[in-house]
Amino acid sequence: MSLLRVENVSKNFGSLAAVSNVSMMVEPGELRAVIGPNGAGKTTFFNLITGFFQPSAGRIIFNNEDITALLPARRVWRGIARTFQITEVFPELSVHENLRIPVEVASGFRLQPWLSREADAKVRERVDELLKMGGLADKAARLVGELAHGDQRSTEIMMSIALNPRLLLLDEPTAGMGEQETFEIIQLIRRLHKDSKLTIVLIEHDMRVVFHLADRIMVLDQGKFLAEGTPQEIAANEAVQTAYLGKAA
Amino acid sequence: MTQLLLFNVFNGLIIGAFYALMALGLSLILNLSGVINFAHGGFLAIGGYLAYTLMPYLGFWGALLLAPILTGFIGILVEGVLIRRLYGRDPLYSLLLTFGLAFMIEDGTRFIWGAQSLPFQIPDWLNTPLSSEFFFLTGYRVFMVVLAAVVVLGLFLILNFTRLGIRIRAGTLDLETVSVLGVNVRVLRNLNFGLGIYLAGLAGVLAVGMLGLQPTVGDSLIMPSFIAIIVGGLGSLPGTLAGGLLIGLASGITSVYFPSASEAVIYVMMAAVLIVRPRGLLGEEGRF
Amino acid sequence: MLKLDKRAGDVLVWLLLLTAPFWMTHVGSYVELGSRVLVYALAAMALNFLLGYTGVLSFGHAAYFGLAAYGTALTIKLLYPSTPVGMLVGILVGTVAAAVIGPMIARLRGIYFAMCTIAFGQVFYFIAFQWFSLTHGDDGVSAWHRVPIDLGVASLDILNDSKSFYYFVLAVFAASVGLMAFLLRSPFGRTLLAIRENERRARFLGIPVDRHIWMSWVISCFFVSVAGTLYALLNDFVDPRAVRWDQSGMFVIMAVLGGMRSFWGPLIGAAIFIVFEDYLSSHTENWESFIGLFFVIIVLFFPRGVLGIIRRKAMT
Repeated sequence: MSLLRVENVSKNFGSLAAVSNVSMMVEPGELRAVIGPNGAGKTTFFNLITGFFQPSAGRIIFNNEDITALLPARRVWRGIARTFQITEVFPELSVHENLRIPVEVASGFRLQPWLSREADAKVRERVDELLKMGGLADKAARLVGELAHGDQRSTEIMMSIALNPRLLLLDEPTAGMGEQETFEIIQLIRRLHKDSKLTIVLIEHDMRVVFHLADRIMVLDQGKFLAEGTPQEIAANEAVQTAYLGKAA
Repeated sequence: MTQLLLFNVFNGLIIGAFYALMALGLSLILNLSGVINFAHGGFLAIGGYLAYTLMPYLGFWGALLLAPILTGFIGILVEGVLIRRLYGRDPLYSLLLTFGLAFMIEDGTRFIWGAQSLPFQIPDWLNTPLSSEFFFLTGYRVFMVVLAAVVVLGLFLILNFTRLGIRIRAGTLDLETVSVLGVNVRVLRNLNFGLGIYLAGLAGVLAVGMLGLQPTVGDSLIMPSFIAIIVGGLGSLPGTLAGGLLIGLASGITSVYFPSASEAVIYVMMAAVLIVRPRGLLGEEGRF
Repeated sequence: MLKLDKRAGDVLVWLLLLTAPFWMTHVGSYVELGSRVLVYALAAMALNFLLGYTGVLSFGHAAYFGLAAYGTALTIKLLYPSTPVGMLVGILVGTVAAAVIGPMIARLRGIYFAMCTIAFGQVFYFIAFQWFSLTHGDDGVSAWHRVPIDLGVASLDILNDSKSFYYFVLAVFAASVGLMAFLLRSPFGRTLLAIRENERRARFLGIPVDRHIWMSWVISCFFVSVAGTLYALLNDFVDPRAVRWDQSGMFVIMAVLGGMRSFWGPLIGAAIFIVFEDYLSSHTENWESFIGLFFVIIVLFFPRGVLGIIRRKAMT
């Protein structure tokens, strides 16, 4: 039984068909990559899944519930977390605070005017756990806005993990990163996938990342579904190669 | 009864035309530069006072022509020296700046021209009623409506058929793209501000004939201008125009049946719009 | 290092406030000015709860400030001559008004939100002006005074003894800012910081942003209402000026002047502004121009405020 079922979704902006009749089924524990040339509609596709906007047609079923009409915040509560192409964090707060906030929200504390000592200790414990997982323990007190790009992205990913999501959507997690940072992010994602048995869907341009991590790959081109399969199948797929104008991994 | 109704509808239309004139200037500045010009009422007063000063030399028509232009120039100066520095920053700062300017202008006009109400002479022939039956149709009032209509039409023409106007409209939608296309955004913002202030100055010259000339003359018009923009819709000039006329009309009609509520009704309209359709009648979605 | 400075700063502030009636007279000032500073400081800090900590600009806070002031004055004058009762009514009136208006604007953002707060502020100004039978319009609500407080064991003569009144105001101030600090340090307070820092990220962490903004708005207006009741008691008088847009502007400039991103910033801003205004109005007729000029200079050259400058110096 699939965790996420996207059924024939389309999104039109006026006369522009950003996404046309795309379907996707993601199994629990899978790591799926969504790739495609620029303008393929990948981010729009993510935006539909997370509720940034409503689809013009089609349904989105998460954990056997039709979430098509749900607002973004509610989808978060259902267990869908995402990162953005341009890192969205809290720049003038410390890494610790950036992580503390989603931990408190996830623990149901967002309206609490105060925390008991035990609750506070539990929150801190969880934040420390996340800091370690993300390799950010030594930077906990620093302002996120001052960190290197890769560390900001790691913080964003760990903030999403703090929500205890069932599905994590990563929008171009290695965008704009150098070799070393890309490597570290790949390691982080792999760790999260293996250790937490998290279901992950990611958009990527960097083919090395995709082929290193993905169980299955879906290819979009100009808003339409092009192909889906294992990395080997996709690598051998001629239509995919053509779509990328010959740029293969 | 119909006489009274007609009188108040016509009055409401005139007031609405004023609100619209003021609001259009405010709207132009708000849409392109994201600045709420608290000092707009002050510029209205400046327009009136300049006209008063020029009248002995140029007569009514000369003053009417020149005062708004001079006011517009002052606006251009103010934008270039002060407001320009705040564009990249939080809108909070430009709001505080224009707020401070409003204080300075009000006190400044009081300092230069005194706190007393000054007599503003409009040509006699304009003051006579055009018809004995519709006594309220004084030449001056008709003249104001006509002039306001002409100015609005002129604005519409400028915005749609001149290079400057088209750039202003494009800039309102997407300033970044416009600058990438080679338009000098600095100059554009500056001229746009000047245009908005010109409208304030013009409204000032017209208003003082009716409301009298004192340092606080702009105060009673600036808040309805805000509401005209809220009701008509943020980001939409036709909306602002419609908003101004609508609240003026509503005010006029209400004064027939519930005289004491005639000013309150525009606030009720604002609340209603915010509840039912926050973006305003003709406003664009996502503007806020 | 920063933590120590913060604690030391807090201690210093409270020390100065507690001993104010004694050193103020020595520097040529007077105790009533201190009370005045506290009232405005509370108002500015209340505004800053929304502005500096939630990142939402209101330019219409005077509406609730003034409404509370009227509530207090009218209660004492017409209903029941008791300071606590008057204050309670005033606070209730101001807060309820804010709670009702909140949902109308909680969906809005940025300058549009600010514009609407200005417009709603004007609504109350209009009411204060027009409802002559109740508020006496421009003449204001006079012929009443703050009532000495009978605590059973002792009586606080806040009417005639300016020192007593100062400490009364200080007590209310302390309770209010204590509560404010408490809220800001809580998980709820952190969600407000999140909204200030990055609204989109806050939303995608599951925080219902509009609702939290409304709550922050109501809390902020609650505290500004408290300040409003003190304002009425301070002057034994209320007129529409308390509700006017320039009053709102003063709260904002005080917060900016002192430093929006710090807790005590608005207090410092209020102190500087009130002293400055006091000095100006007794020396020149054109004090309004100077106030306006003051606004312009702050905005152009000191946008981060006094504490912002100090903080920057400390980091370099």
